[in-house]
Amino acid sequence: MSPIEIGLASVVAIVVLVYIGVYIPIALGVVSFISIWMMRDNFDLAMNLLKIAVGDSVMEYTFATVPLFTFMGLIVSKAGLGADIYEVMNSGFRKVKGGIGMATVGANAVFAAVTGSSIASASVFSKVSVPQMLSYDYNPRFAVGVVAGSSVLGMIIPPSAMLIIYSFVAEQSVGEMFQAGIVPGLMLAAAYVAWIWTMGRFAPKYIGGRSFEDTEWMTWSEIAEKTLPITSLIVVVLGGIYTGWLTPVEAGATGSLLGLVIAVVRRKINLHGFWHALLETGHITAAILFLITAASIYSRMLGMAGVPNALGDFLETAQFSFFWIMFFYVVLMIFLGTLLDTASIILIVVPLFLPLIEPMGLSLVWFGIVTVVGAEIGLLTPPLGISCFVIKATLDDDRITLKDVFIGAFPFALVMLIVLILLIRFPSLSLAILN
Amino acid sequence: AEKISAVVIDGYPAKALWVQEFSNFFIPEVDKRLAEAGNYEMDWQESYGGSIVKPKGVLEGVKLGLGDIGIVTTIFHNSKLPSQAISAVTPFVAADSRAVAKAVDEIAKEFPTMQKEFEEQNQVYLATGVVLDTYQIFSRNEISGTADIEGGKVAGAGMNLRYLEGIKDAAGVRGGLTDFYNMVQTGLTDHAMLWPEAAKTFKIAEVAPYMLKADLGAVNSKTVTVNKDYWDGLPDEVKDVLQEVAVLYRDHVAGIAMDRAGESRDAYVAAGGTIVEMSDEDRKAWAEAMPNLAAEWAKTLDDAGEPGTEMLNAYMAKLKDGGFVPVRDWSAELTN
Amino acid sequence: MKNGTSKTVITGLSKLANGIAISANAVGTIVVLLLVLVVNYDVVARGIFNKPFLGAVEVVQFSMVLIVFLQLPDVVRVDRLTRSDGFLTVLGDRYPRTHNFIRRVINTVSAIFMTLIAIAIWPEFVEMLETRDYYGIPGVFTAPWWPIKLTIFLSAALCAIIFILKVVLKADNFELVRVPEHEEEDPS
Ligand code: NA
Ligand code: NA
Repeated sequence: MSPIEIGLASVVAIVVLVYIGVYIPIALGVVSFISIWMMRDNFDLAMNLLKIAVGDSVMEYTFATVPLFTFMGLIVSKAGLGADIYEVMNSGFRKVKGGIGMATVGANAVFAAVTGSSIASASVFSKVSVPQMLSYDYNPRFAVGVVAGSSVLGMIIPPSAMLIIYSFVAEQSVGEMFQAGIVPGLMLAAAYVAWIWTMGRFAPKYIGGRSFEDTEWMTWSEIAEKTLPITSLIVVVLGGIYTGWLTPVEAGATGSLLGLVIAVVRRKINLHGFWHALLETGHITAAILFLITAASIYSRMLGMAGVPNALGDFLETAQFSFFWIMFFYVVLMIFLGTLLDTASIILIVVPLFLPLIEPMGLSLVWFGIVTVVGAEIGLLTPPLGISCFVIKATLDDDRITLKDVFIGAFPFALVMLIVLILLIRFPSLSLAILN
Repeated sequence: AEKISAVVIDGYPAKALWVQEFSNFFIPEVDKRLAEAGNYEMDWQESYGGSIVKPKGVLEGVKLGLGDIGIVTTIFHNSKLPSQAISAVTPFVAADSRAVAKAVDEIAKEFPTMQKEFEEQNQVYLATGVVLDTYQIFSRNEISGTADIEGGKVAGAGMNLRYLEGIKDAAGVRGGLTDFYNMVQTGLTDHAMLWPEAAKTFKIAEVAPYMLKADLGAVNSKTVTVNKDYWDGLPDEVKDVLQEVAVLYRDHVAGIAMDRAGESRDAYVAAGGTIVEMSDEDRKAWAEAMPNLAAEWAKTLDDAGEPGTEMLNAYMAKLKDGGFVPVRDWSAELTN
Repeated sequence: MKNGTSKTVITGLSKLANGIAISANAVGTIVVLLLVLVVNYDVVARGIFNKPFLGAVEVVQFSMVLIVFLQLPDVVRVDRLTRSDGFLTVLGDRYPRTHNFIRRVINTVSAIFMTLIAIAIWPEFVEMLETRDYYGIPGVFTAPWWPIKLTIFLSAALCAIIFILKVVLKADNFELVRVPEHEEEDPS
């Protein structure tokens, strides 16, 4: 077998092993190890690759953003900032058909600016907004669907663990990726609201619900009390990065400390809860970075096999147009999204496609946004859709099955796909804010 | 002709000056010379931009055989390659990449130390690359001398942060080249230390319209090396060609760096920047106030049983012979 | 009888390995806190006192190694390593024995891989210890390499042991749905 054949066979082997249920970092590492060994008929070389990759990948300074933004997200959830912003949004949207749904989307968009993961968003909002929607007779499938759909915003609107991971694989600046994520994130939120409005207008049964009886509005001081903490965090974190006052790492650390202060002042956290937030931060960081380490073994193996060069040559001779390359890319991501988590999809597909995208003169920042949005559609699709799982588990309500959650989330996955197509078609949506 | 395969690695992208010239100058030149004799033919596989190693990983990549030939960025490896810091520890001597590249390369060949350091990393030294003409100070506000830097914050990276020890209450702030624009723009720092070509690339003129022409000096940062096991398996004819071309590559890259430096200074002025000449007294005062990094460097090597002092003396002598007048003669103060 | 003794020994070993993993995890957890504090210290020292902490980069890099590799064995212990378990779950319902067999094979392969990492890193550790190699900028801030290599070695070795014990004891936490771990402790 030629190195390129080995390289391509290894991609297939990895996908099969991962589907069988092998730990993803182990599948990436083992297959890459064996591939190098076969390719060069040199066991020591394979060991050397392990040696270089294992130390290297973790030592990256910007990776400190992973634990810092994870910790910040956990702390602000505990501090109740998600619930607060939801109440404020709710008081604004309650006169509208499907208003609680819209409020959920809006609150998610704001909460997304202080958390790096969709899991936090999904668990916070299934606790605060689903019960309320059910008590107002909303269609249960719509209720869980809107929470699942909008939880995705947590990883598109910065800070985002996925944008950080992409920026590592593609060697792009984390700060620029964060900036590029803002417009697409807001656009997706707007698309969700538009979808809810349209359905409320033309298919009200899909949404269900009845209007609020009480007409008392929140006072300005109440609104201020509930929005000031989260606004100040957003200003410090995103403002710090945007102006260049803080590196993303420093913004994460400052945000963590500020979030902690808010939680303590509001008496929402005790020593026990604090310790567990730290503990979970460590677990998530270790799992993500070990995955990244393994993926770096894989992408180096592909590099040594010459797969990216060969793929580039192939596509050049085959004369595939931009349209078809992006079409294959999106289909591949949706296929992998059925069973893989977002980070794994990014780490597997980006090294394959990066060498094709760069020579076409396309922006790698734009490509990152397309990748992250595309890979996150998988959060909503069966059989493995993390956001839906988290919602089902957090709700713990026998009346709502996992199937209901998936069915409810499906229209939102379609809306994501439409937004993704727009993002591909109009790169300036992602890039305008950078220039 | 017999085919010989060679995997070339660097973690920097193909568009970086020294990588580009490796593809466009080094490789064709080697091919041309081998073709003349007709005995051997190279089969190059070029892997740049992180496809096999990251910029910091080239040294280890060549050591471990992930690449046969690599362009090592030596400033990342102060610990494994201490003698490579020779031009960084001797500021205010020569603001000329060609002269520094030649002098460092000759030191590498006349003394065993640099080659030994690479040999311990299982690789063979081929040539030195110098890609910047000199560090200068770029400032937000009008600047006429070191007095304007006192008590200020200066963005910098690597060894040159230590130059600031010669300026009262100046604080170095570490950052990557890509961060400097933002750091100065926001006022996080008042100044940034970088070279004119980088200033042009990162549009520094927009945020730091005053350049203090301090001429701190050119610094060697790239070394072309070959994996030792791979080298041992090469025929002598190929070895000779690689060594000859390496010297040409050294001068070629340094020449381009100098041309670009000139263009970049013009571009800086055209973009609204003002270049302020630093007075001789001021340069002298700054140099005198700096710690003698060169003496520290020589002592560390001497203590390790290497000819640090001799290397420093020989290096300074080469540059002086080349017509450069050091603002401070770092070697004159050596104690032994 | 003999079977019983070996079982006790293995259970004891397992308790020990898990205990070490939990302790390492606690230390790694403290490093997360230190990371937050060090970076904030640098931001304040630089912004307000004009005295940036020049070792911030190296300290952050070192803490990343500690956080990841001190926590990794515990991640393995509680089975939170990233995997896609849809197929295994479906299989488990219909063919529990095949399901168990596949899981043991997976854990065995994982143990071998972690062992390879440990073997690859060990000579690096020895070399760094002998040469006293450091990273960073001399005269500005430097830190030795060997503690990093040692941490990775010990972590990989412990992960390998925990995987082996999972094979032998046929006991790993297998659940399809993982809620955020400490959800139940949420005081709100
Ligand atoms: Na976010
Ligand atoms: Na899915």
